[in-house]
Amino acid sequence: MSEAVLKTENVSRTFTMGKREIQALSDLNLQVNKGEFVAIMGPSGSGKTTLLNVLGCLDKPTRGKVILDGVDVAELPEKKLYKIRRNKIGFIFQTFNLLPYLSAIENVELPMECTKKSKSERREKARKLLGLVGLSGREGHRPQRLSAGEQQRVAIARALANDPAIILADEPTGNLDTENKYEIVRLLANLNINSGTTIVMVTHDSQIATHTERMLLLMDGKIKKEKQGLHLTKKKLMCPYCGSKIQVDDERCPNCRKRL
Amino acid sequence: MAIMVSIPAGIVANQESTQRLTENFNSTISNMQEEINKTATLIECRTSSGQGMSFGTPSGTPGDRPSFGSRQEVFVSETVGDEIGSIEGVKDVVPFLEKSSNETTSETMNTPRGSFTISRPLYTITGVCLNSSFIDNYSILPTNITGGRKLREGDSGVLLMSSNLTIYFGVGVGGKVWINGESFVVVGIYEPANQSRMETRGEVYMNISDAQTVTGQTGNVSRFDVYAEDVSDVDGITNVIEAAYSELYVTTYKDRLQSVQSMQERYTQTLSSAESTLSQTQTVATQEIILAVVATSLIVLFVMLYTVRERTKEIGTLKAIGFSNWNVMSQFMLEGIMLNLVAGIVGIAIGSIGAPILSGLLLPSMNLFGQSGSFRADSQFANSGVFGLGAATATPDLQTMLLALGAAILLGALGSLYPAWRASRTRPAEAMRYE
Repeated sequence: MSEAVLKTENVSRTFTMGKREIQALSDLNLQVNKGEFVAIMGPSGSGKTTLLNVLGCLDKPTRGKVILDGVDVAELPEKKLYKIRRNKIGFIFQTFNLLPYLSAIENVELPMECTKKSKSERREKARKLLGLVGLSGREGHRPQRLSAGEQQRVAIARALANDPAIILADEPTGNLDTENKYEIVRLLANLNINSGTTIVMVTHDSQIATHTERMLLLMDGKIKKEKQGLHLTKKKLMCPYCGSKIQVDDERCPNCRKRL
Repeated sequence: MAIMVSIPAGIVANQESTQRLTENFNSTISNMQEEINKTATLIECRTSSGQGMSFGTPSGTPGDRPSFGSRQEVFVSETVGDEIGSIEGVKDVVPFLEKSSNETTSETMNTPRGSFTISRPLYTITGVCLNSSFIDNYSILPTNITGGRKLREGDSGVLLMSSNLTIYFGVGVGGKVWINGESFVVVGIYEPANQSRMETRGEVYMNISDAQTVTGQTGNVSRFDVYAEDVSDVDGITNVIEAAYSELYVTTYKDRLQSVQSMQERYTQTLSSAESTLSQTQTVATQEIILAVVATSLIVLFVMLYTVRERTKEIGTLKAIGFSNWNVMSQFMLEGIMLNLVAGIVGIAIGSIGAPILSGLLLPSMNLFGQSGSFRADSQFANSGVFGLGAATATPDLQTMLLALGAAILLGALGSLYPAWRASRTRPAEAMRYE
């Protein structure tokens, strides 16, 4: 049986707005195994972002346990949480959140800034990661000189900088056009296949979600439905539509020409 | 920062000039008092009041009429000196012969009443009794020798010349000049103490017997410096001289003291007003510096608060990718310090270049030197150094600059402390929502 990287046990998160209490998450149980590519879907206000924040140690659950890599992070004080965020989690945001005054490579180096890596090690690693996301040669560009899709690739490279146990992506395709959407999701899928990176992606785009291996439908703070995605068959290098053999880098099935 | 650099510089400059002024006052007054004490026993007896100044006649009028406005040069027999010397209490009588030169300079003045030609004697011939005990004990000869030597006992056929005459005669030390047909060798040149415009007339000093010969006043003198045995004798001697010789104008140390005292009063007044201005200035300056410090801190505070607010999302991102509270706080502190450091360097540059102007603008004007004009009237002391002061020049020193730079860093840290702390406290989940 695969080992769980991330597990929640009866997690609840309540927000207080004035006198009203809003139950964003209620007794949510979730397990993400190592090497999985999971999509969390749901309508607005279903608690997707809250869940991702709780999973990413950006927010604390009102109740329940969040076990990340064997550690209950819900119990940890803020003083220790930053190290978890730095070393175990990679974040990808809808709006990329690159620092505008830093170049692409400097943005990728940023998470390594507070680690023990030397300057040259950091630079080397950042260069490698930018190559991995297909941005070799654009290291010196500032975010405003990159397209939206390229910016998100830089953000993905940044998320990978400290070799996290899990990548949490919050609507990573939300600000992108159709072409770039598929580019990014394929990039994530390939990362998952090639490097075995565990990815949890929040999205409300069902088209995108089907490219993962497991889709969780979140409603009123609970997981209502679970569905298999196409990614599972892709992992076996088979076209999910016609079953013919495909390559990892293929954009479309060579046989049925469907978008992979 | 410019304020912080230029104000102290301005204050220091003002303090320095006031101090210089005070020192000059004190040394001048003590010099004068010393001078008065030295000459306390001196009774000056002149044959005429004041120094000679001949005005010319309206052009075209015959020259034999007594010159209009002119002072007749009067002489008395030198035997009068012997008579004065026999008065009880008189220690020494030093005779002088002062006579205007025959050579004159003239200049024409245009007035509504017509044009006047003013002719002035070119120089004064002063004959001095070159008795070595007189020369040693009394200041009877110019002391400010710039070339050659002083006159001494036994000198004859030689003279001491004021520097402004060397050009006219075209000679230097050792040169030969002709005065009223007699030739003299210049043995020394001195710088006249008196620089007032009306009295730029040159002077030559020579043995009194030479002077009598050359001026045709054999046996005559124009002035006696009478020295009493003791200060207490001065009044008595003065009374006797005034009663016996109505043609002599007598002045004593008391008259001179009076003029010095009135001068001292003016000095003191000016000094105290300068000091009060300075202390006012310092108060104002302190207020201005405090204001500048407070303003700087507040500006940094607001700028950094604004920055933190503007960059909430960035802070959220930094925290999400693993920056600790301390990382974030130090980041923003550093930014605040850098901001102020750059401002500080720019300010110091402005301050150094513009300190004189800025301190002048920021500080109330110091009216120390406006009054020095009144001292000029006391031409006797015109070159005593009091008036050699220029305006206060404010040049900030290195210490002030380093201090300002340190203050810049400190204020940057102080002003950004709270914003940085707030930034570090930002909850990432909330910060991410912030647009």
